[in-house]
Amino acid sequence: MTDKSDDAKEIKVDYTRLRIPFGPVHPALKEPISLRVTVRKEEILDVDIRLGHVHRGIEALAENRNLVQTLYLVERICGICCHSHTTCFTQAVEEIGGIKPSERALYLRTLIFELERIHSHLLILGLVGYDIGFETLFMFCWHVREEVLDLFEEITGNRVHHAMNTIGGVRWDLPPHLIEKVNVSLKKIEKSAKYIYDVFQDKTVEKRLCEVGVLSYNEAQELCIVGPTARGSGVSMDVRRDYPYAAYKELKDRFSVVLKYGADTYARTEVRISELFESINLIRTILDELPNGSISMEESVLKLMREIPEGETVSMVEAPRGELLHFVKTDGKEGLRRLKVRTPTLANILGLKPMLIGGEIADIPVTLASIDPCIGCANRITVVDEDQGEVRVIGLEDLRRRGRKR
Amino acid sequence: MNTIVALLATFPIVFFFSLLFEGIDRKIHARMQKRIGPPIIQPFYDFIKLFNKERIVPVTAASGIFTAVPIIAAAVSILGAAIPVVNLITGTSIVGDLILVLYLLAMSSVMVMIGGSSSGNPYGAIGFSRKMTMMIAYEIPMLISIASLSFNPCFSLAYYDVVATQIRMKSLLAFTRLSMAVAAATFLLCVPAAADAVPFDISEAKTEIIHGSLIEYGGPYLALIKLAKAASNFTLAFLAATLFFYVPALFEGYVSLGLGVALCLCLVTSLIFMLLTTTVPRTIFARLKIGQAFKFYWLIPLTLSMLSVALSIVGL
Amino acid sequence: MSVTARSRIKSPWLFHLNTGSCNGCDLEIVAALTPRYDVERLGCVLVGSPRHADVLLVTGPVTRQMLPRVIRVYEQVPEPKVVVAIGSCASSGSPFLGSQMIEGPLDKIIPVDVYVAGCPPRPEAIVMGIVTAVKRKFG
Repeated sequence: MTDKSDDAKEIKVDYTRLRIPFGPVHPALKEPISLRVTVRKEEILDVDIRLGHVHRGIEALAENRNLVQTLYLVERICGICCHSHTTCFTQAVEEIGGIKPSERALYLRTLIFELERIHSHLLILGLVGYDIGFETLFMFCWHVREEVLDLFEEITGNRVHHAMNTIGGVRWDLPPHLIEKVNVSLKKIEKSAKYIYDVFQDKTVEKRLCEVGVLSYNEAQELCIVGPTARGSGVSMDVRRDYPYAAYKELKDRFSVVLKYGADTYARTEVRISELFESINLIRTILDELPNGSISMEESVLKLMREIPEGETVSMVEAPRGELLHFVKTDGKEGLRRLKVRTPTLANILGLKPMLIGGEIADIPVTLASIDPCIGCANRITVVDEDQGEVRVIGLEDLRRRGRKR
Repeated sequence: MNTIVALLATFPIVFFFSLLFEGIDRKIHARMQKRIGPPIIQPFYDFIKLFNKERIVPVTAASGIFTAVPIIAAAVSILGAAIPVVNLITGTSIVGDLILVLYLLAMSSVMVMIGGSSSGNPYGAIGFSRKMTMMIAYEIPMLISIASLSFNPCFSLAYYDVVATQIRMKSLLAFTRLSMAVAAATFLLCVPAAADAVPFDISEAKTEIIHGSLIEYGGPYLALIKLAKAASNFTLAFLAATLFFYVPALFEGYVSLGLGVALCLCLVTSLIFMLLTTTVPRTIFARLKIGQAFKFYWLIPLTLSMLSVALSIVGL
Repeated sequence: MSVTARSRIKSPWLFHLNTGSCNGCDLEIVAALTPRYDVERLGCVLVGSPRHADVLLVTGPVTRQMLPRVIRVYEQVPEPKVVVAIGSCASSGSPFLGSQMIEGPLDKIIPVDVYVAGCPPRPEAIVMGIVTAVKRKFG
């Protein structure tokens, strides 16, 4: 009897708290991520973020494949920023091999890069609209985005996975009639982007976005937040300006880094809308200054691949979501010894906790959308217990303990 | 006896027009978004399809309540929708008055809420608490705006009395007195929340809480709940159109028009009101948060409803 | 054709399940909802709960973490239901074939009615896949 009463005293269930699973399968998410949210009524008390639902073992797969195969594998890390991944990877390989792509190839890479930024930003602006229940805004943004996808299809032949990059250059040239077409489309996109900017001034949209998911300047710096999320908190960082690559070396002064100081979801959205205009201007500059020349090396890609020596390097690009980093270590025999990918979402996802705590349930989807998560990019350690058939995600603390045991 | 037969005969009419109105709403919503949109009879397809699907009752649910609630909700809202229609057709107020209609409307919402919370899903529970908060926010101004009708010397809370008065005065109620115009505005402001349309669909937010109360419902149960919702939307639009803007009154009621034409005019007016109060806001606004919606209803519609009562008492 | 069969063909409600896809297919599914392709004209609605769905659109090569969820979501969809595997990953597992983390392809786990190949398939192909699946199963 006494035991029972003691137990009853100890277990104090707080009935005002409710633990709700948010994801991995949830209509606001296009990809699986699991948040375990503790709420009291509408207020969020605690958030536990679980990743690993999309872990496909790409890094391990890359070690068994040759460089050209890996190029296509790397493209499939993420469908939205696929060009960023391939650019980052080819840059690393070219650096190891001492290959210098032609100027025209670099400009074309940059062109696709900026088009991709427009498409990615339009996509996430639409999803922000969808998450706050503004379906018309979502439909409009995605309708404009189709314009960009048409350009992709004309230039590279694909809507989503462009497969534009190859070792030593790019695979498709930009004939003059396409330049004309890009210019016409850019005009349309610019007009629509101005309209989107106006729509985001709508009162109900502002009510949903302002003062939501605040991430202060200090927190953003401490957690190493990157990309538009950091720029929305006033952290001035942009790989394109700080460590220029591809054609950005020449175009460094032709664009400005957009900074907003609101630190909330609205500021992040504003950054993305302003970057649309920056990208449009940058593409116009690229089209005007497109140098002549060949677009790829004379030798075939396979020959180039065989000549790549053993070596290792780190390569960085500014993907639409922020700084993307590839560590590549080749084995000198066509293959890879190690590939390590640090995606922007992996950095930004840490910011979710300070953003969400203290907010409301209604804020979760839109805050999540505001960091523009690309879960496909972000999944890391998963351990599978074959005997019990259970899957666990191992945290840092666990890893340390195991390290000590050994 | 005749009344009951008339009431039962109205049921198919109500069923047909509720779903038809939903189809038109969806079509126009799509056209406003530059889309082609579903065919107008889409809700009928949805209803028949859902009705012929498997019935699943979750293990965590209280199965008795879970299965009974959709039936009650559908019955109650169809009845609620049929009462004004049958009163209008018979030209009497034998079957129920406005209080009963409003009570039936609220009842159907409460039923769906209870069903959601009995499903054992945490999102259902959140949907329950959100809907409860919303009901406190919009029911009070709505009730007061209807009650302000009875503060006028010549009106009562019997549905057909209000209509008859409009026919007698040969004018729309909202245009006869200032107090009635304010009451009409209040009622129209409350319609989107009662119809669970964006910006006030907080209790059923798809991207936030996965349809809230409806999350565990599937198959025939979902069909009934959808029907209940369509019927209550129809009732709200029909009430708004006939109580405050009874257009046939301009043509001296049935005398010059005949019953069929008068009824058609009422349906057209109610369709227009549904488009104005449900479809347009749903297209041009984002969803509000629960606190913001609550604040809105207690600041503007509640004040307006109080004003309409005050004006009625003064005699304006 | 009976009224029920016709209604089923005319109103396929979609539930989208990502099982480790790269986003490409997911984007194209969502693009199919938008004004240019507009699947709602065929009666399709993207619903949030598997209980409301008729058609299960699965993308991705089924990772180990998602395996139990795929089965659970499949069981939650009331009969009659259709499963459409979207993209090469769900259809065959490529290009992640050989990875230790992949349990797929999808037809090893749940019965699949229609495969839409492509990396990613175009929205037209996805719409075609849904229509074919629904017609074949319900018609």
